[in-house]
Amino acid sequence: MRCADCRDAIHAYVDEELSSEEQGDVREHLASCVDCRREHEVLVVTTRRLKEGLVRHHAPDVLKARIRSALAQPDAFESPADPPRRSWARLAAAGVLIAAASSGLTFAAMRHPLAQGATTTDVLASHIRSLMPGHLVDVASTDQHNVKPWFNGRIDLSPAVPRLDSLGFPLIGGRVDYVTGRPVAAVVYGRRQHMINVFSWPALDRSALSPTASTEKGYHLVHWRNEGMELWAVSDLNLAELQQFVAAFGRSDSASAR
Amino acid sequence: MAQRDVERFERIVLPHLDDAYTLARYLLRDEHDAQDVVQDAVLRALRYFDGYREGDARAWLLTIVRNCCLTWQRRHRGDRLVVPFADEVAERISDSPQTDTLAIEHSQRAMLERAVATLPTEFREVIVLREVEGLSYKEISDVVGVPMGTVMSRLARARKRLASALGLDVKEAS
Repeated sequence: MRCADCRDAIHAYVDEELSSEEQGDVREHLASCVDCRREHEVLVVTTRRLKEGLVRHHAPDVLKARIRSALAQPDAFESPADPPRRSWARLAAAGVLIAAASSGLTFAAMRHPLAQGATTTDVLASHIRSLMPGHLVDVASTDQHNVKPWFNGRIDLSPAVPRLDSLGFPLIGGRVDYVTGRPVAAVVYGRRQHMINVFSWPALDRSALSPTASTEKGYHLVHWRNEGMELWAVSDLNLAELQQFVAAFGRSDSASAR
Repeated sequence: MAQRDVERFERIVLPHLDDAYTLARYLLRDEHDAQDVVQDAVLRALRYFDGYREGDARAWLLTIVRNCCLTWQRRHRGDRLVVPFADEVAERISDSPQTDTLAIEHSQRAMLERAVATLPTEFREVIVLREVEGLSYKEISDVVGVPMGTVMSRLARARKRLASALGLDVKEAS
């Protein structure tokens, strides 16, 4: 074997991609040629450094949770060419028009028990939509001092963003979303592989409401009303832990308000 | 798609999520971008799952992830031309005594990460597929969509650059 042939084959030799006959030829040449041997040594050290030194990443729990949630609902099979958010924005715009045309009617409907069902459906749809790629948060941060000011100027309210990571509910971020045709604040927390969306907007009904749980399509929703805000927490987390979350959220919220 | 197919997909494809995420991290050099692109790639994979018959599910998924990463990069070209420097690692090194073997290891690792991060994408992808993911030449050729000969020459050139960046290359006596 000539040196030029050896240099051509040496990567495949190191990667054990040659036939046994070719491997033998290269081995034989290396035994007799100092220059090629030195080239071979450099290559062996280089590949070893790469194999040992380069990090093998682990898919984060948040990513796994987003994928699992997306696979669990049929929207996952929609074409990505038409992102759901766009059609939802259009729907929301239509909602605003209708609301403007008949605000009296809308207001009446809000007090009707049926409206509660519509809100539940909307809140749940918003939660599920948030699990689609790139839709979870518009501001990604584990720091409440980044998330809370982000809402300034984007929405006419300042949502509660308590810090709950010491209780095992790390903050993931926030975004502005639409529920029943109005912009709402969504603050996102994690729990192992699960996401929790907390939606809030100013309440029309000023009376307080203690946390009320419901279950739909395998998701748990907890609704409560506090200090003039409607609050909804939604997750596929088990109900006991979601209620624990709501209790902690409520405590920190009223503590920080004072 | 039937629930049965989704379950089959979860069983066959999802075990390779770490590999998919690793490739996306190296190609995009950003953890948030990598998460978004991998999620998109997995949902695409589910839609193409009818087309997947038998064979290596890992290489199949990596092909989709790789294509999604390249599409993403084309769409966001110019957003991020600067390679982030590992400040954290550098600080740790300068704080530690020179003789500390851990510090040397950290500095070598940082140098290595940086050498790979600054490779052109076509070289970086073959290095990651070979040295991190451990794919064969044939599998790399399928994932990247180029002939085996091209895989070999890219791998050789990428390794030469890395050896030189790491100060390992043969110094020819002149």
